[in-house]
Amino acid sequence: MVSVTETETNKMEPQLSWYLALSAILFTIGVTGVIIKRNIIAMFMCIELMLNAVNLTFVAFASFFQDVTGQLFVFIVMTVAAAEAAVGLGIIIAIFRNRETLDVDEASILKL
Amino acid sequence: MLALLFILFAGLGIGCALAVVAQRNPLYSAISLVGVFISLACLYVMLAAPFIAAVQVIVYAGAIMVLVVFVIMLLNVEQEERGRMRLKFLVPTAVALAAVLIAEIAFILVSVQEFRVTPTTAASDVGVTHSIGSQLFTKYLLPFEITSILLLMAIVGAMTLARRGGLLSPTARVIPGAQQFPVSLIDPNAAPDDLTPVEPQSTDEAARLLGVGYRDRDE
Repeated sequence: MVSVTETETNKMEPQLSWYLALSAILFTIGVTGVIIKRNIIAMFMCIELMLNAVNLTFVAFASFFQDVTGQLFVFIVMTVAAAEAAVGLGIIIAIFRNRETLDVDEASILKL
Repeated sequence: MLALLFILFAGLGIGCALAVVAQRNPLYSAISLVGVFISLACLYVMLAAPFIAAVQVIVYAGAIMVLVVFVIMLLNVEQEERGRMRLKFLVPTAVALAAVLIAEIAFILVSVQEFRVTPTTAASDVGVTHSIGSQLFTKYLLPFEITSILLLMAIVGAMTLARRGGLLSPTARVIPGAQQFPVSLIDPNAAPDDLTPVEPQSTDEAARLLGVGYRDRDE
C-alpha cells in the first residue's frame, strides 16, 4: 500500500521521460518544418526550434542527474546558435541580393 | 501542481511550435517562435536552471529573434504563395518521416522505462550561476575559448557576407581630383607594397577603382 501512494505522489511530479517526450515532439516539428518549408527564413527558424529541443534534453538530464555539465553544453549550444544566426542571416541577405527571392528552390545551385 | 505547470508550458510550447510551421507569413512564424522560447524558459525554471532560463530569454528571445525579425523586415518578405510548391509529395513525406521519428523515440523511451530517476527536490547548487561559472572557467576552459574563437569567426564571416562589393557604400560618390590612391592599386606593374599616393587620371578611373558612382564637383 505504501508503494501505491509513493507512485501516486511520483506521478504528480514531472518525470524525466515527460521532458524527453516534449523534446522529441519539438524536434520532430522542427524537422517537419525544415522539410516542408520553402522560405529560407522559415527553415532557419525551424532549425532554431530543433536546437532548442536538444537544449531541453540537456537541461532535463542535467537537472535529474544533478550534473552541471549539461547546462554548460546548453550554454555552448546557445553560443553556436548565435553565431549560426549571424552567419546564416548574412547568407540569406547575400542570396536575396543576388536572386531577389527567398525561395530555396530558386537557390538550388550555388552558381549565379 | 508541477505536473499542471508542465502540461501548461509544454502545451504552449508545442502549440507555438506547430504555429511556426503552419504560418505562411515568416513574421508570424517568428512571433510564434518567441512563444516557444518563452515556454522553454519556463520549463528550465521548473528544472531548477534559472541561469539557463535567463540566458534563453536574453539570447534567444532577445538577440537572435531581433536579428531574424530585422532581416524579415529588411528584406520585406511577402507572404509565401500557395500552390507554387513543385514537390507535392514533400508534405506527406515529411509527416510520414516525422511519425517514424516519433515512433523511434517513443520506442527508446519505453525500452528504458525501468530506468527511473526521481527528481531531487533538495536544494542544490547545480543550476545557479556560481556553479556554472566556476565549471566554465576551470574544467571547461578549452571549450569556452574555442567558443570565443567561433564567435570571432562569425563576426568576420557575417560582415564579409553581408557587405556589398567594394569598400565603400554604394551611395558614396567620387569627387574628381579629390581621391588619392597608392600607386600599387592603379598601376599593375608597380610593386604591391608601393604606397606612393597618386591621383587617378580620370574620374571614371577613380570611380571604377572604388566601385562607386561619381558626381561632378559643382553639384
